[in-house]
Amino acid sequence: MIGFKTYSIIKKSMQKKRKMTPAIEIFNVSKTYVLHHEKPTFLEQIFHGSYREKYTALENISLKIFKGESVGIVGPNGAGKTTLLKIISGITTPTSGQVKVNGRVVSLIDLEAGFNPELIGEENIYLNGLIIGMRREEIRRQFKNIVKFAGIGQFINAPLYTYSQGMKLRLGFSVAIYAKPDILILDENMSFGDKDFRLRSLEMIKNFKLNKKTIVFATHNDLLLKELCQKIYLIKDGNLSKIDSK
Amino acid sequence: MLSFLKKHEHWWQFLFAMTAKEIKARYKHAVLGFLWIFLNPLLQMLVIGLVFQFFVPVKVDNYFLFLFSGLLPWIFFSYSLTKCTPAIIFERGLIKKAKFPREAIILSIVLSNFFHFLVALGLFLLILILFGHLSLLRLLLLPVALVWIGLLTSGLSLLTAALNVKYRDINFLVQAVVPLWFYATPIVYTLDLLPDLLQKILYLNPVTAIIEMFRFSLIGLSSTSIDLFFISILVSLVVFLLGCWFFRKENKNFDDWV
Repeated sequence: MIGFKTYSIIKKSMQKKRKMTPAIEIFNVSKTYVLHHEKPTFLEQIFHGSYREKYTALENISLKIFKGESVGIVGPNGAGKTTLLKIISGITTPTSGQVKVNGRVVSLIDLEAGFNPELIGEENIYLNGLIIGMRREEIRRQFKNIVKFAGIGQFINAPLYTYSQGMKLRLGFSVAIYAKPDILILDENMSFGDKDFRLRSLEMIKNFKLNKKTIVFATHNDLLLKELCQKIYLIKDGNLSKIDSK
Repeated sequence: MLSFLKKHEHWWQFLFAMTAKEIKARYKHAVLGFLWIFLNPLLQMLVIGLVFQFFVPVKVDNYFLFLFSGLLPWIFFSYSLTKCTPAIIFERGLIKKAKFPREAIILSIVLSNFFHFLVALGLFLLILILFGHLSLLRLLLLPVALVWIGLLTSGLSLLTAALNVKYRDINFLVQAVVPLWFYATPIVYTLDLLPDLLQKILYLNPVTAIIEMFRFSLIGLSSTSIDLFFISILVSLVVFLLGCWFFRKENKNFDDWV
């Protein structure tokens, strides 16, 4: 029997020999936002013409992330981390430049997005699964796993407004994980609920890494960064630089 | 090709799930539950029917039937439009957090209202059978009218919803225009009450032709000329295409504006 360490070394060398396929390719991407202190009205629009104050969140960024890589993104608040994650996950489009994404992206930016408080747990699993891009049959196949991992028990038939905050988080995370994404996007201000679930979630994310899935992770948590990420990039004033590689 | 089909499959599944959510969530806490799908249009019919019976002196046989055949499509159209216009902003929580086909927000509202419209229409057909007013031949036009009003409502809703993201004035505008529009459409009166010129102007309003078509297929009453119909179809088509095009163009950047 070979030990885990040797196994992973062999695996790593195999990976290097194989042609690395890119999971995320970003070419010269810029994102400018129109600054609006207040929403422009028709009249303002007519009188002020096309002049508007602009704010550049990302400036000419290029980045290639290969399949199986775990990449950390750090930077001060407001530096453009979330904008970059949003562009990768397709929530918003860049002002210029190109983005190529290979495979299913699931972003854990907000675990509760798409939940409806009036609907019961089961209905919400289907709705949420469809929102993140799963097909009905897929959700049906994973349904038991989702419920089990979330640990919501008989609440599955209760409307979501009866759930505790932790239960909602667990359900959201569970759906996202069992969507079997190729690329997982984790945002900094994510919380996993209680300690037990936190550990299980981290276990899941690590499993993800072992299964050669791609992870993009924005965080301030150095411990997690060291544990999860091979490469770390710094975003500052809309520019990207590589700062560390393990 | 296969991946294209798969993408489509997910789109439909998603749209239907959103529509089901829209319908289910509406009746979740009501004691009478889904009975309201029938009760709501019935009560509306009675109330509006009584009011207009006494206040509008229009000389048609069976004013109630005349009114409802126009009112039902109008309710579908106006409800959908007023609910869809601010919908993108109401769903900002979803827009900012997930990637999904944005048009499903609008189309699911239109579809759920369409579902209610069909239920009410079914009730109305029963009443018509009782009155012996129904003709199967004329009824063949009904699906055409249904598709037409469905497309027009979707197109216009996509347009106003997308515009409202950047210009919140649009919502106020729609709120103000819809009641006016009601009176600019021959719902409570007949077209031939109006002078010739005004009749022709009203035909630029695509809802006029649709309601005339509904009326003709349901109760066999209509005052129409064919060429004006074509103008209406043309206007509807332009509105629909414009709505789709504009929504497609704008929806990539909704996240920046909500």
